[in-house]
Amino acid sequence: MPLISIPAANLSFDCPDDDTIMRAAVRNGLGFPYECNVGSCGNCKFELLEGEIEHLRQNPPGWSERDLQRNRYLGCQAKPLSDCKIKLNLRDHYKSHILPRKVSGKLMAVHDLTHDIREFQFALDVPVAFVPGQYALLSVPGIEGARAYSMGNITDDGNQWHFQIKRVPNGLATSALFDRLKLGDEIGLDGPYGMAYLREEAPRDLLLIAGGSGLSPMISLTRGAAASTKLNGRQLHFFYGGRTASDMCADRVLGSLPGYGTNIHYYPAISMPETDGPQWSGRTGFIHDYVREAMGDKIRDMEIYFAGPPAMAEAVTRMIVEYKVPMAQVHFDQFY
Amino acid sequence: MSGQKIELCKTSDVDEGSAIKVETHDLILAVFNLNGAFYVMDDTCSHGPGSLSEGPIHGDVIECDFHNGSFNIKTGEVVDPPCMIPMKTYPTHVEGEAVFIEI
Repeated sequence: MPLISIPAANLSFDCPDDDTIMRAAVRNGLGFPYECNVGSCGNCKFELLEGEIEHLRQNPPGWSERDLQRNRYLGCQAKPLSDCKIKLNLRDHYKSHILPRKVSGKLMAVHDLTHDIREFQFALDVPVAFVPGQYALLSVPGIEGARAYSMGNITDDGNQWHFQIKRVPNGLATSALFDRLKLGDEIGLDGPYGMAYLREEAPRDLLLIAGGSGLSPMISLTRGAAASTKLNGRQLHFFYGGRTASDMCADRVLGSLPGYGTNIHYYPAISMPETDGPQWSGRTGFIHDYVREAMGDKIRDMEIYFAGPPAMAEAVTRMIVEYKVPMAQVHFDQFY
Repeated sequence: MSGQKIELCKTSDVDEGSAIKVETHDLILAVFNLNGAFYVMDDTCSHGPGSLSEGPIHGDVIECDFHNGSFNIKTGEVVDPPCMIPMKTYPTHVEGEAVFIEI
């Protein structure tokens, strides 16, 4: 088993043959920076001082020719072929509270939330807890490479992980999940990962903004907040943006939570109303505009969580910068 | 506490046109020397885990070598995306051969 050393930090750790350098580091409790875990965001770059590695994913989007020239690789994709010496800046922010593990999950139930969002419920062979808002890597049978999806449930014992997954048109992984995975089938799960998790100690009301595939972690965070005694009485504002009325579903999940309508407030909006689709009498427009209008200057005094497609994440980030919200109050994982 | 003066390094520690990283008082800082004038900002890029003291300097601009976003070294303002959040900069003084900031 290769030994990975970080001379500048005077430490080393083992990286099993079927693991990657960043994931093995995080499993060992180190603050190895990362976010997406699938080769896209580029946050896990390190410099290879000695040794040999190969990337699991060929030509990952988060890696460039310039990185290669500088002998830099992506920790999430780097499989060591020998002992390695590496250089990077470890940061406490990236340490995991619950160390991620590789386990097997058996599909116990599915149900459709919308025409293209389905909840997949897996029972784990070895229980692993997670903090609301975190994600896992799913190894789907027949699909090369792992995919990152956020859990939508909350758990004390870690026996079950549920994922609300949006079907990607012609997407290989979601086609395999939606069309071929049957009840009783097993897949590989690796987690929990991610820094956009619930901060129960934060003394502020919560602002959650979800778009499209970002629903699942925001549902988990809301469930976690509703169940948290530390957050008892705190106001939670949940904004959910979709394209059409048929994308709207969060109220069906949130509506059963204690405090819905009193402490948990739901603000849906659609951006592309259809003339021939379901009736929609609610708000039309982009979700960040709705946040700005409904919350105004209060945004600055809130704990903010968001997840969604790139254009939404960029618009929300611009709004947060404009309102000068301290970044320590803002939690999201870059997946691109 | 405001108005506290902290000594970071000697002027000779930072070559012209370059930067060093200084960790002190729970701060991780990048100290720049532009033509003999000193500027200080937080070292960790506002966009990701990149260390700005390790990036290339182009005139008054520091480029983060993680995602190639950039900032104005004197003001902390964003010059190039994907960075969107300005960097925090610190009032910087040279006294004798020592570089100080105020926090």
